[in-house]
Order: sequence, then C-alpha cells, then structure tokens
Amino acid sequence: MDQLPVEISQRIRHEARVAGLREARSPSIEMVERRRMQLWFLTFVIVIVLGLATLVASWTTGNVGLISGEPWILRSAVAALGLGFCFYAVEKEIHLHRLSRLLVDERVLNSAMANRLQMNAALFNAGKALNSVLDLDEVLDAILANALDLLGGATGSVMLVADEESLRVVAVRGSRLARDARVKLGESIAGRVATSREPLLISGVVGPGDFPGYEDREQTTSSAMCVPLVNRGQLLGVLNVSASSERDFDEHDLQILSLFAEPVAAAIAKAGLYEAERAHVAQLLDTDRMKTQFVASVSHELRTPITSIRGAVAASRRSITPEQRVELLEVIERQSLRLQSMVEEIFTAAKMEQDGNRPLLRRIDLAALVRLAALDSQVAGRPVEVEAPTACEVRADPEAVRRIVGNLIENAHKYGATPVRITVQPAEEQVVLSVVDHGAGVPLDEREKVFERFYRADPNGTKPGMGLGLAIVRGLVESCGGSVWVEDAPGGGAAFRVALRTGATESSEREVARVG
Amino acid sequence: MSAKPKVLIVDDEPDVLLTLRMILEAEGFDPALAADGETALRRIDDENPDLVVLDIMMPVLDGWFVLAELAGRTRRPCVVVCSAKSSDADRNRARELSADAYVTKPFEPDHLVAVIRDVLGHRSGAVRPSEAFRV
Repeated sequence: MDQLPVEISQRIRHEARVAGLREARSPSIEMVERRRMQLWFLTFVIVIVLGLATLVASWTTGNVGLISGEPWILRSAVAALGLGFCFYAVEKEIHLHRLSRLLVDERVLNSAMANRLQMNAALFNAGKALNSVLDLDEVLDAILANALDLLGGATGSVMLVADEESLRVVAVRGSRLARDARVKLGESIAGRVATSREPLLISGVVGPGDFPGYEDREQTTSSAMCVPLVNRGQLLGVLNVSASSERDFDEHDLQILSLFAEPVAAAIAKAGLYEAERAHVAQLLDTDRMKTQFVASVSHELRTPITSIRGAVAASRRSITPEQRVELLEVIERQSLRLQSMVEEIFTAAKMEQDGNRPLLRRIDLAALVRLAALDSQVAGRPVEVEAPTACEVRADPEAVRRIVGNLIENAHKYGATPVRITVQPAEEQVVLSVVDHGAGVPLDEREKVFERFYRADPNGTKPGMGLGLAIVRGLVESCGGSVWVEDAPGGGAAFRVALRTGATESSEREVARVG
Repeated sequence: MSAKPKVLIVDDEPDVLLTLRMILEAEGFDPALAADGETALRRIDDENPDLVVLDIMMPVLDGWFVLAELAGRTRRPCVVVCSAKSSDADRNRARELSADAYVTKPFEPDHLVAVIRDVLGHRSGAVRPSEAFRV
C-alpha cells in the first residue's frame, strides 16, 4: 500500500514525459485534458491544411486525382505526412489516456491515505487520552467523547458486564438512556453483540421484532453501531454509537469503531484494576485505622479492671472489717476473671485470623446449651428470656456455641435495651437461634460492619469493649458451617440470628469430624 | 458540720466505686457514690461535696458534661478527673473546663489520696495555684 503511490507517481512522470508534458513535474487531469485538446486541434488543423494544399495543387494542375495525379511523388509525400501525424496523435492520445487514468488512481489513493491518516491520528489521540486517565468514570466519558468525535456520531453509550446475565449502562452521551439501566445478555442489540462478540451495523429503523427486548428510546435512530469490548479474551461490555438523522454509518465506520474498541477495552481493564487497587488500599487503611482504635480500646479496657484490683489491694491494707475484706477479695476475683476473659477474646480472634478455627463438630442439644448460657448470663447480671423447644439438635462445637450465645447476649445488653430474648426455632435442615433486644436496632449500612474485627459502633462513647465480640461470633458460626446476620426485630430492636445445620442428613461416620 | 471532707466518687464501674469508697473512708473522708453524670449532678446539688472524683466515660451524661456544667458555676466543688483516657488532648480539655487535677487509670490509690488532700488543702488556703493541676 505504501509503495503504490511511489510507483504510480513514477509511471505518471513517465507517461507525462511521453505524452509531451515534460515541463510539468506534477501533471493534473486538467493539464492532460488541455494537452489532449491541443493535440487533436493541431492534428485537425494539419490534416485540413494538407488536404487543402493537395486540392489547390490539383486544381492548378488540372489533375483531380489526389494520389494518382501528377506529380504523384509530391502528393504521396503530403499524404504520408498527414498519416504520420495522425499516428503521432493517436500514440500521444494513448499515453494521455493512460496518464489520465493514473492521475485518477493517484487522486483516489491520496484521498484514501488521507482518510487513514486522519483515522490513525484520531485513534492515537483517543488512546493517548484514555491512557492519561485512570478513574473509570473519566475513562468511560473520554471513550464516548472520542468515539462520537471520531465517527461524527450523535449519541453513544458504554455498557459493562454487570453479572452473568446482564449488561449495565455505565456512561451515556447525548442520549436519554438511563445510567444503571440493565440489558439482558442475548437480548436487544447490545445483549446480542455481547453474546456473539461480533460488531453490528444497523441501518434503517429496527424494532423489537428484529431484536427481542429492544426499546428505541431515541425514536429517530436509523443508523447505529454496536461493538464488543474485549480485553485479553474477556468480554468487558459493549460500545454503542448512533448517527444523527442526516447521517448513515457504513462498513468502513464499523471497521473504525472496531479498531477503536481495542484500546478502549484495554483502558477500561486498566481503570478497573486501578479501581480495585484503590479499593484495596482504602480497605487496608480502614483496617489500619480500626487496629489503632483496637489498641486504644484494649488499653482502655485493661485499665478499668486493673484500677479495681489495685484499689481492692490498697483498701485491704487499711483498717477494714472482715466483711469488707471478703468483699474486696470478690472484687479481685471478679476483675481478674474479666481480664482473663479479655485475654481469651483477643487470643481467640488472633487464632481465628491466623489459622481459622477448627472446632469439634458433633450433634449437640442447642436448646439445653442456650438455657445454660442464659443461666450464666443471669448470674453475671444480664437477664435473658428464653423460648426454646425441650430439645433441639444441631451439628456444632458446644464450646463455640456457648461463646456465640454468650457474646450475643453481652452485645444485646451493651448496645440494645432490655428485655433481651433468645428464641430457638427449628426449620428444615437448620435451626435458627435469635437474640433479640429492644434497643434502637442496627442501621442498614452497619449490618455487615458490626461483624468486622475491631469495629466499634460507639468508638468514642461510653460503652466498654474491644470490637471483637461479634467478629468472634461470626468466625465461630462459620467454623460450624452456619451463618449469622442481623436484622430489625419485629416491634423494634435488633435481632441477631444464627442458622446452624441440624446435620440430620449426614452419615454417622462423620459424627466426629474435622479434627486438626 | 462534719469535720470529714465530703468526697463524691463518680464512676460507672461498681468495683471502682466500692474500693474507692473503702479507701477514702479509711483515710478519713466522707465518701458518696454516683454511677453516672446525672446522679452526680443531683448529688452535688443536694449534698454539696467538697470534692468530686470524676470518671469521664460514663452512660447517660458523661464526665465532660458534668465538668462543663460545674465550670459555669460560681460555687462549685473541687474536681479530680480520674479516667482511663490518657491523651494530652483530654488533659487539656479537662484543664480548660477548670478541673483541679487529672489522674490516669490505673492509678496508685495512695497517689490519688495524696492528690485529693493536696487539692482540698489548696482550696482551704483560698488560693488555688496553677501547680495544683496534677498528672
């Protein structure tokens, strides 16, 4: 392709030289036409002059024969001269004809080259623009702006794969199409292109009959293109461009858009990676912040029992009654147990993070365990109402369940309000344990966060705690193969629910499982 | 009028209240107890203590609220803040709210008694030097 214009221009120069346009370094079609006119006019004039000269000579000699008359040699020479010039003119005409065809070819090629250069420049600029931004929204906006600019489109949109079944509109320009609108894969124009991964050119008005699920929101679109965005073999989405009413796209436009789609897909993938990296960093910073908060919480939580213990020791050294001494010993015992339970809690959380918890799963009576935990809680000054069947079997680790119930009761008393109620409800293949309080409940946006390690609903407030209780609950529940979540309790308050499997369908050999 | 100085101990932790009450009683004070800010303010109004040992992190009304409330009064008891919060920002805030001393938990009980005596001694001398704000 690159060699052709050089070869053509050489041939043009040769033909121009032969055709008598030697002085013209770059002959034009107009010059060829002028040369042709001159040539045939000259030929015509010469032939007429020669003919007239012959006739005049015939009349003056009285011999009317053109060739055979006397003197015949002179007449033959005139005729040969005329014929020779005619041959010369025809030969020049052949070269002029070739030259004009070559000039037309050259003009076509130049025009095509100019188009290609323009397109390459536009693609280069688009690529440069896309590479200079990392924010996904900015990338998508730049993509649409460049695509519309490149093809003279009126409206456009980018749809990205949202899940296994649908595409989601993530960027729109000049169209009433709603952001976040969904298109099912395989349906409508975009859905079909996403499935087939083949670019599609649409000419004329289309309707739902042509593409099931299609809605024409613009009403005026008669020419549009849709190309898939594929990066390293992975479908990312589709790019749609619609022409204005006075323009129609053709195969060439589709080819350009397909070429454009390649860097676009790479830019989207890169922006996606950047977004993921940014989210990861944000998560790390969040974890770091929560760990700092945790250290503050722990040091605060440790100070309180130590204060009581030191106070009790100091008081016992003073003149006190025997009854007071007993009371002080109880303070020391209570607060040292509190310290011990805090240390255990930190240890459990650390162990869960390090190697996961490997509980001993066996069939246990959840109802009996809940009653025991409720009794413990009652003794510790946290009253609980229990509503459970006489017996209710689940497959879990009894020690884990004891801690789960204990932590949930403590949480309900700390952040909710009394009365706290525990229910045990057997369902199909699982049992749901609920701990319900009558407090303000957990806001929707915190229902996941409350189970994160170090998360404190009340970081600067008055509630004691280290932000580990519910994280431990989730870890233990999941280690027993169950699930835990929080929702609004009917009538207000928070309802923490734990679903544990009954294990009724499992074989007896697996009665004791997952040890070590 | 009793010769024993009245000290109101304000803390939401029952065992801290219990041990401090015994210590201060043995040291010759007349202790009273409050487990939250609201009760503390009520007892200050009713019983007019000479000194308040005040925790910061408490339910209902916290120690900051009590301090701010007392700071606006012309006749008020001495206040020794006794908290697990140990940052300079917290100390400065307490100083700005006219606390007389700041003791960080866990504390040496004898040290707390010494601080209480010191603060009360300065009050009886009618002048409260700036050094009275203790760490």
